[in-house]
Amino acid sequence: MAKEMVSKKPSDKLHVFDIVNYIVFILIGLIIIVPIWKVVVDSFNKVGVYQFQLWPNTFTLDGYRTIIGTEQLYSPFIISVVTTLLGTLLGLVLSTLGGYVLVQFEMPGRSLFAYILLFTMIFSGGMIPEYLVMRRLGLVNNWWILVVKHGMNVYNLVLMRNFFEGIPASLYEAAKIDGCSPMGIFFKIVLPLSKAALASIGLMFSVAVWNDYSTVKIYITDPLQVNFQYKLRNMIMDGDTPISGYKVSQSTLYNAGIIAAVLPFMVLYPFLQKYFVKGVNIGAVKE
Amino acid sequence: MSKKKVVTSSGIEVRQKPLGLRIWNNRGYYIMFLPVLIFLLIMHYWPMLGVRYAFYDYKPVGPKTFVGLDHFTKMFSTQAFWTAFWNTLELSIANLLLTNISAVVVSIFLNEMKNLFAKKTLQTLIYLPHFMSWAVVASIFSLLLSPSSTGTVNGILRDWGILGEADKNIYFLASTSWWRPIYWFIQVWKETGWGTIIYLATLSGINPELYEAADIDGASRMQKIRFVTLPALSNTIITVLILNLAKVMNLFESVFVLYNNAVFEVSDVIATYIYRQTFAIALPNYGYSTAVGLFRSLVGCVLVLVCNQVSKKVRGRGIV
Repeated sequence: MAKEMVSKKPSDKLHVFDIVNYIVFILIGLIIIVPIWKVVVDSFNKVGVYQFQLWPNTFTLDGYRTIIGTEQLYSPFIISVVTTLLGTLLGLVLSTLGGYVLVQFEMPGRSLFAYILLFTMIFSGGMIPEYLVMRRLGLVNNWWILVVKHGMNVYNLVLMRNFFEGIPASLYEAAKIDGCSPMGIFFKIVLPLSKAALASIGLMFSVAVWNDYSTVKIYITDPLQVNFQYKLRNMIMDGDTPISGYKVSQSTLYNAGIIAAVLPFMVLYPFLQKYFVKGVNIGAVKE
Repeated sequence: MSKKKVVTSSGIEVRQKPLGLRIWNNRGYYIMFLPVLIFLLIMHYWPMLGVRYAFYDYKPVGPKTFVGLDHFTKMFSTQAFWTAFWNTLELSIANLLLTNISAVVVSIFLNEMKNLFAKKTLQTLIYLPHFMSWAVVASIFSLLLSPSSTGTVNGILRDWGILGEADKNIYFLASTSWWRPIYWFIQVWKETGWGTIIYLATLSGINPELYEAADIDGASRMQKIRFVTLPALSNTIITVLILNLAKVMNLFESVFVLYNNAVFEVSDVIATYIYRQTFAIALPNYGYSTAVGLFRSLVGCVLVLVCNQVSKKVRGRGIV
């Protein structure tokens, strides 16, 4: 990406085009950052105001204190953390196992496995038959539904397979000749070579579980089993505030809730951006 | 036993071993696939058996009775179903076009940016909203657009005198004329940046000699964009459109978090219609909602297959 930038001749000065370009991008940047910054500031602001402020005028941590101190708010947060960790783990186990088996080209039945995986990307039973099956399995009103539903992701499995395909077959064969079992090759060769793919696909799993709202809305009615996204959206948009009589203003609590809901990934994001972005390029268009 | 010959990776031709032995030799892999298979059967194939309920009356209480195509006749004569169907198409196709137009424009001009630091910073910034959940994004915008005294947009409209003393605050998300423009704005705000990744990857692959040749011909910056950059992107644009056209029936969560009963006529989509027919009415008929779901799956299926064919024609490989 950097090549053409460097090769620009030094005689190129800043012309009108560049100035306009910078101004347009400053505007785009502002459109993105202003709503987010407003939430950050308001989460520390004692009283809600409609104006955009650069800095809270009456600083308070009450919003965050309320979240930490109220069971109806911190318990969904804990459920979010637990489901995200378990869902990512299950997702990585299933997608690496499946992806690995799908690159065993001499294995009889490989294409059958590929077809039964791909068919699910074309046709699905739909929301209600799925619900009825999950109800029979006892996964309705149970936060495990989040783990199970995201753990089996055919799209991510195919991404993992695409990545494994890039590992030279000679490595497998050499290991086989040395008497390494399929499981041994998997743990000693494939996984150590796939750290980048594990990171990006793992992140895709964790973002998907953490951010899920619909699954909770469909499968869970018990307020003790909901995740934080669901709790937050219901609190802000459906007026489902835990209990009245807080010392904290509604605006402070709502905005602090939004920050809490994005915090884990926003903290990780600057460090892991390349892994976040990589997922798109392993899978999607290879021109 | 057939005496098929196979060529190993080292180029030696050997006789293929019998099937039974090959299966035995690969037993380790079958065991490793077993967990995937179990999850796949439970999570995907078992629900597929449930599509038979589309032909039954199936209520939380009482027996299941076979009703043939009754649910489909009822569905096709229900106004709310058709509203949801057309809304699904209109909302998702507009999403697709709007986010891709803005992503193409943004990536072209981002590509023109010479200052690498500025470029990277902007990329980091515009990817950011993609990682926020729809629940969070809906919450942020519902606070900004709120008709209460802390609603930023209403407050500003008042400050600027667009809303007078006597006017009530506008409840944007419950207004049938405002809901769609707002929905599309939020969609563009959230997904444009992410959409640029694929276009920027293509742009970085353009041969710099093309630009040098254009320089020699005395082309201006805009001419270079028009005659070098844009044609180079056209394949990617078509690919992205085909890939996403296959998914238009999937539209769900973004609407689910933003709609409310005041704006059903402009916002209700098939998936949210199914949800309400099942979970928001007193005595749901699972048969009916399964039938609507089956219709949704079948249309989705046709779209995938059509897009797959188009994709094979246009770019020589399928999408599934």
